[in-house]
Formats: sequence, structure tokens, C-alpha cells
Amino acid sequence: MGIQFKQVSYQYQGIKTKYLALDNVSLNIDQQGEFIAIVGHTGSGKSTLVQHMNALLLPTSGELIVFGQKLPPKKNEKINHLRQKVGLVFQFPEYQLFEETIIKDIMFGPKNFKISDEEALIRATNAAHIVGIDDTLFEQSPFRISGGQMRRVAVAGILAMQPDVLVLDEPTRGLDPKGKTELMNIFVNLHEQKNQSIILITHDMDIVSQYAKRVIVLEAGKVVFDGKKEDLFEHENFDSFHLELPTPLKILKHLEKTLNIKYKPFYDFDSLYQHLKEVKL
Amino acid sequence: MNSVMIGQYIPGDSWLHKLDPRIKLLSVVIYLVAIFIVPLKTDITSFIVLGALFLGTLLLTISARISVFKMLKGLKSIIVLLTFTFVIQVFSVKEGTMITAEPIQMSISIASIIAIILIIVVYQLTKRYIKFRVLYFLLAVIAIFYVQAVLPYIEITHYQLEIFDEGLYKSLFIFIRITTIIITTSLLTFTTMTTDLNYGVESLLKPLKIIKVPVDIFAMLLSLTLRYIPTLLIETEKIMKAQASRGVDFNESTLKEKIVQIISLLIPVFVISFNRSEDLANAMEVKGYIIGAKRTKIDQYKMGFNDYLTAVFSIIIISAVIYLKVIG
Repeated sequence: MGIQFKQVSYQYQGIKTKYLALDNVSLNIDQQGEFIAIVGHTGSGKSTLVQHMNALLLPTSGELIVFGQKLPPKKNEKINHLRQKVGLVFQFPEYQLFEETIIKDIMFGPKNFKISDEEALIRATNAAHIVGIDDTLFEQSPFRISGGQMRRVAVAGILAMQPDVLVLDEPTRGLDPKGKTELMNIFVNLHEQKNQSIILITHDMDIVSQYAKRVIVLEAGKVVFDGKKEDLFEHENFDSFHLELPTPLKILKHLEKTLNIKYKPFYDFDSLYQHLKEVKL
Repeated sequence: MNSVMIGQYIPGDSWLHKLDPRIKLLSVVIYLVAIFIVPLKTDITSFIVLGALFLGTLLLTISARISVFKMLKGLKSIIVLLTFTFVIQVFSVKEGTMITAEPIQMSISIASIIAIILIIVVYQLTKRYIKFRVLYFLLAVIAIFYVQAVLPYIEITHYQLEIFDEGLYKSLFIFIRITTIIITTSLLTFTTMTTDLNYGVESLLKPLKIIKVPVDIFAMLLSLTLRYIPTLLIETEKIMKAQASRGVDFNESTLKEKIVQIISLLIPVFVISFNRSEDLANAMEVKGYIIGAKRTKIDQYKMGFNDYLTAVFSIIIISAVIYLKVIG
């Protein structure tokens, strides 16, 4: 089970132009226990890749298996049910809100998968509580709340479908630092409590170093790195990926240069602090 | 959504791309008028004139370095309409001499109905493997009529098909006329950027300013509208995908579900376009745009040799067509 990419390529087709967005991508994503960050330049095919995971885009060549369903599908095979199993939160998901009230909007997803109104309401309430939307807000219009709250409502709309795998396309983009941390904590909790696989696209290396277990680096549609984050930041060709170092590693490198503290990688601020206490300046 | 050919711009650097937009727009209008002036008659001159105009558009397409094959492929969306008018003409016009020696007995029988269904099924199943799909479609249409003539077994009802040469000529004439018109107008949008097109419209409408028509506002409206069609299409596609991720299935659903789905698409698109238009208005104001104020242009259009030549040619073409109409 899970998601398997087997030499998947995807080509966008214009009138005179063709653009290879994914080039021979092979990946294996487990149903449980994964926390994957997908990084790469804009235009490197990150969004195209995640849109394959819930069959919004179908490979132009190669094969993709999502929860046992082969893609591209045979004729007359329905693929809509895959979108319940793989929940995809788009960039700026607040634009997809449309219902009169917040709770109705969150219920929209489950109801599309033929779940009864009562059950949908229960799921929606749960999802709203997970993202920290109060019961008092339920009957308000989704257009009258702040941008950060709209983002949470939109995420709740996906969570209410109770997907097995959660895929997020730059979930923290455009949020303030506090909103960023809060939203990331929601995903970390989901991951830790339910051991749910989470895949997220990000440009923020601090998020990668703090939360991700596995990192996939894309460049011009090709997977150039796929492995643990520790291996990524210690990779001998790290510069060739054109990525930034996360802040803790930057500090450590700087300290090595200026104070001659021997470099040892730590990926979040707590362990960095502990380390500095140990070496005692 | 990429399959929509009509109205798109295809970048290039042929002489048609470089032509002054005013001249291009004017020439297209003249050309269209010329096509309509050619009388719908069955004499040979009408056909030669129309054929020449048709060949002219094909030559223009080639000279714009747009593949004729692709251009004809773009006509696919109207082929059903074209065939329909063709069939109607053939059936309804009862003038001139009959081509068939006697009326053909067309029978709608069990045998022919089964054959028709078979043809349609085979057509639907095999059409994806056929390169010249339009030709294939026409063949299928001909086959459908052919089996009605040759399979009279277990007859239900029958009718008589009388094909007159006039009907055939007229339908062919209309067929070519519509094709030519569509190719000509497509050629305009294929080779002209919307900004250029907008400039062309603006300067051609300039005389209306004398009677206090706010031409520049209309021109700005037009250019903004044209400019935002692709943007809105992209946004719509994004929202469609986002809602598809929430389980909306735009392909297979009942009518009641479809209504909710369309609402789930419309409201976000409206919200986005309102936001966008507000941002755009602010951005324009920040950059000093004042409605109705005199503006200079970054591109100064200068008429060159090609432009004058084109104008002269257009006038020659329409004069020739009018002359032929008058003497004919």
C-alpha cells in the first residue's frame, strides 16, 4: 500500500511548446510513519509531483500506484475515491472556501464521499477542533474571519475527509511566524498521535530541519536526493542542490569559524542549546 | 483547457506577426466583407473567386509559419456544425438538375438501424487511433447515409433522396465560406498580441471621439478583459483541482450534485476576481493612471512598406470581388 512512483514522467503540452515537468521519477512512500519534505526551486516540479499523488494529474509515461490503484487508470475505472485516501491541501487553500458557514464548508469534503450528514457533522467538528477553530465560529461566514483562520478552516476541510496520507503544498506560505508554528504543530501532532504519513512542500529549511524525517530534493523534474535529512545536510555535494542551510546549522558553522567550537550537527534549537551548554564557552 | 485554439496567440516573427495591427485589423474586416460579397450562385466564377479567397487564407497561414495541419485541426470543434449545414442544404435545395438518374430509395429499416448503430460504435471506438479524424468523421457520416440506401431489409419507413447539383454546389459553397471565415479570424488572433489588437481597435475607433465616445476607456476595458481571460482560466483550473481534492467529481455526478459543484467553483472564482480587480485598480493608480488622461505609448507604430502593400492588396481584392459581382 502507500504510493509508488515507477519511472513516472509528466509533460505539460502547449500549442507549440512541450514542457517536461517530471522526468523519470521513482519513489516509494509508505502509508504510515513518513514525514517527508519536498524541496526544490520554483518550477522544479514539486506541485506537479504532489498532484499525482491523489490522481489530479495522471502520468504521461510510467506507472503510479496509489493505494493499490494503478494510474493512469484503465477505461471506466473510477479514481475519485483516491482523493479521500490522499488528502491534498493546495497552496493558499483559503481560496477554495465557498459555503455560507464555516462548518458547512468543512462538511463539504466528507459529504462528497457519500457520508451521511450526521457523520459528516461529527467529522467536521472533530477536524475543526484539531485545527483550533472554536464552536462559536461554526455558524459564521468563512469570508469574515482572518486569513490565518481561513487557512485553518481549509485544512480542516481536508482533515474531515479523514485521509490516510496528508499532502500539503506550502502550507505555511504567507502566514506570520506564530501562525506558522501553530499550523506546523497541528501536523506534527497528527503525525505523532496517529502515525499518519505527512508529505509537505516547503521552501523553509528550518521547517525541514525541525520536522521532516525524509527529504526529497527535486531539480528540473528529477529527484536528485531522496533520503534522511541528516544525510542531506551532511551530503558532500550539498552545494549542488542550491539549498540553504537551516538556521541551527548556520549558527554551528559560524561558531566553528569564529569561536572554534567543533562542528556537530543539531537540527533544532533545544538540542543546539544543550550542545552549547555542554561545550561550555 | 489547452485544446481551445480559437482566440489564442501563437508567438512568432513572420511578416504577419510584424504587420501593423491597424492594417491587419482593417484587412481582416475587408477580407471578411469580400468573402460575404461573393454571391451564392452556382456559376463557375463564384466558385473560382471563393476558392481563390480560400487558397489565399491558406497561403497566409503558411506565410505566418503556422502549420496548416494544426489550423485545420483547430476547425475540429465546428466540423459537426459544418456537416450539419451541408446535409441540410443537400436535402432541402430542390433546384437545378438532378444528379441521380432517379430518386434514391432511402429506407429506415431494422437492418439499416443496426448498421448505423454499428457504424457509430465502431467510429467511437476507433477514432482515437485515426490521425485524420475529421476525414474519418465525414466518412462515417457518408457511411450512415449509404447503408440507408443499400439495406432495405425489414423496412419500417422510407423516404426519397433527390440530390440536385444546385444543392450540392450551394452546400459546398457554404462549407468553404464558413471555413475561410474561421481561418481568417483565427489567423488574426494567432498572429496578434492582445495589446496590439487593442491598439488597433483603439486607433480605428478614434474618429468616434469626435462624437464624445470615450474610446480610450473602452480600449482599456477591452485590453484588461482580454488580458485576464487566461489568468482567470488558470485560477479556475486551480480551484477545480482544489475542489476535486475535496471529492468533487466533475465528470460523473447527478444534476443536483452538479449544481452544488458549479457553486463551489463559481464563488471562489468570483472572490478571486474581485480581489484581483481591486489589486489591479490600486496598482494602476499607484503607477499614475488617470481615467481619460492623455497617455503616451511605449511602442510607436510606424507604417512600413509591408503595411502599405497589404493595405493596397486588400483594397485590390475587395475591388475585384465587387467588380465581379457587378458584372456577374
